[in-house]
Amino acid sequence: MTQVYPEFADELEGFGVNTTMDCFNCGTCAAICPLIYEHFPRKMIRYAQIGAKDRILENYEDLWRCLHCGLCIQTCPREADPGDLILGLRRFVVDHWRRT
Amino acid sequence: MADDNKDKKATSEQKVGVYVCHCGGNISDHVAVEEVCKNAEKIPGVVKVQNDVFMCSDPGQELIMEDIKNGTVDRVVVASCAPDLHSSTFRNAIQRAGGNPYIYEHANIREQVSWVHHGDQATNKATRLVAAAAAKARELQPLEPFKVDAKRHVTVIGGGIAGLKSALDLARKGLDVALIDKSPFLGGWTAKWDRAFPTDDPVSELVTALAGEVLNSEKITVYTCSRITAFEGFIGNFKLTLTQAPPESDAYEDEIKRLSDSGKGFGEFVPLAGICPAGIPETTTTHDIETGAIVLATGFLPYAPRYGEYRYGESKEVITLPELIRIMAENRQKGVGDTLEINDRKIRSVAMIHCVGSRQIPGIHEPDAKGNLNEYCSRTCCSATLHAASMIRNNHPKTRVFDFYRDIRTYGRGQEELYEEASDSKVVFFRFEADAPPEVTRNTGSGDFPLNIKVKDTLTFDEELEMPVDLVVLAVGMEPGNISDLVEMMKLPVGVDGFLQEVHPKLRPVEIAQSGVLLAGTCQAPFDMGETCSAASGAAAKASAILGKGYVELDPFVAEVDLNKCLGTGTCVNACIVEGALSLVEMDVDGEKVKRAQVNPALCTGCGACVAVCPENAINVKGWTLKQYEDMVDMIVSDRILPSQTA
Repeated sequence: MTQVYPEFADELEGFGVNTTMDCFNCGTCAAICPLIYEHFPRKMIRYAQIGAKDRILENYEDLWRCLHCGLCIQTCPREADPGDLILGLRRFVVDHWRRT
Repeated sequence: MADDNKDKKATSEQKVGVYVCHCGGNISDHVAVEEVCKNAEKIPGVVKVQNDVFMCSDPGQELIMEDIKNGTVDRVVVASCAPDLHSSTFRNAIQRAGGNPYIYEHANIREQVSWVHHGDQATNKATRLVAAAAAKARELQPLEPFKVDAKRHVTVIGGGIAGLKSALDLARKGLDVALIDKSPFLGGWTAKWDRAFPTDDPVSELVTALAGEVLNSEKITVYTCSRITAFEGFIGNFKLTLTQAPPESDAYEDEIKRLSDSGKGFGEFVPLAGICPAGIPETTTTHDIETGAIVLATGFLPYAPRYGEYRYGESKEVITLPELIRIMAENRQKGVGDTLEINDRKIRSVAMIHCVGSRQIPGIHEPDAKGNLNEYCSRTCCSATLHAASMIRNNHPKTRVFDFYRDIRTYGRGQEELYEEASDSKVVFFRFEADAPPEVTRNTGSGDFPLNIKVKDTLTFDEELEMPVDLVVLAVGMEPGNISDLVEMMKLPVGVDGFLQEVHPKLRPVEIAQSGVLLAGTCQAPFDMGETCSAASGAAAKASAILGKGYVELDPFVAEVDLNKCLGTGTCVNACIVEGALSLVEMDVDGEKVKRAQVNPALCTGCGACVAVCPENAINVKGWTLKQYEDMVDMIVSDRILPSQTA
């Protein structure tokens, strides 16, 4: 059972991300992503929306698979900049490591 | 069957013209039109056969009009599309050429032939349908529409936004209007809302604008606290009895209290109640009204959740969207803080759940006490919910909003923006399947939140999520209003969803089977306020078109009694489905007082139930007589035109 923590979107603003809530979970980013990796980056973005920090930390490796090709940013219908969000989540993960 | 020889002789000399349409290839790609024409020349009585690429075009209609003017033909058959589409086009052409529009018969060789058959089969079926139509055409007699005087007066039942809008449009057209509401107030459910999406207009302005003009109009008489208690008559000439009475003890208690607390006078808008035009009657009175048309603007009821549905009724922290709207409206009068407050309780997080009482699925949702399920979408709750969600986020930034939906449909101009705005204001969305709705429980865990919500969220790949909340808001849908008394009295058609049903959703959207009775607004289906006003204006336009001339012309396709054959058995009267359309009356026949059937053509719908049961064949529907049917059938099975296909 995952606890929802909606304040996380505000927290992410400190890591340079202000589009977390713009995503409407269409999956275009996951379809265009050349990694052909299960639901990446959509799943990560969803975890960010609901503030599932533990899930993000558990699956941190996925964040470093990203090639920064920019295809998801180009195709996102909501201009939610998925690639930038992945970068922001890396900063969050790194920051979290330092603190714990 | 014993045919009347005299009639046969009179009709055997009719000159039938047959006009076959290609429909620009729609028909001629599958039906060999030339062959149909060649075959049609062999049909008894047919004196002329022509074809055209589009019979409905001006040149096509000219062909018919020329032949009528020259006297070449005096009965017309057009073989083309469905009669609903163009039979009136051709009847009008005949009339313009100086002929009687009822000497016309239509053969549908598009929907019934070229769109469903191919090759020889198509051509043969087209030939048989044309032959049948021509056989009927020979029997057609010129008919005249009935003229019935019509009162230039309309009764509008329901004083909500639909009734107000209809009444105003009618009054502006110069018609007298009686506007009736069962409550002491005008404004209906609109007046009990706060701000209307998508424009964010205060409803006070909408209702004040409409009701203000209604109350100032000399053409409109308003009857509040009134119900229709008797109904009779027909289009142009209805008779209604209104009973105006003090409300029952606890009815409209809240609204009346708001009126007295507000210090507002009659005719002024009272928030969350409406406009009380003239106080509350102390005695019961009745009024008789003669009226030409009736507009039903009886509205809807918000769905009332079952006890325990999402803990509604069990937990005071579970409320409906209309309840939330009222609380927020009242809060605004007190001033708002950064956190939403309800009864001095700070709401840190609120869950809003969509589709409560709408889109119910047999086997998943529990039917109500009468066994009904609301399988329809209520259409307005998505936009209303998101509008309210943004209002919470904008006015109370410290109150979090969780939105649980099955699907979101913010259709229409300016409404997709409501979703955008909710999203921008950081409403968090969760999506559930119908068979796994969010589970609302008392919060036994940590924190001082009273409730906890669990959901299997399809947006998070079916993971189970949970969150504590201070408030749950149920986005309840619309249900049909309780108008069973009117349905019973006026024999109104009710759809499977319980709302009143129009004749056709596109071709006759505000009319019902009873001529002169029209639908305006949410008595017909869930509509938002804009759609409701469109429907109300539509109903008003239709009513003023009906009554504008001071008389109504009715189709002559009604039952007619042959007094030479009628023996007064009364079988037809028993079979008749429209009260008052057929009756037995006393008359003198050869100096003897006898009972005979008599038709009221204004009420007869031409259904033919009486024709089927008469043992003497003494009653027929004009334009559709038994003799005409027999001739059509004879011609369909005849091998004179086409060789029999059984070989």
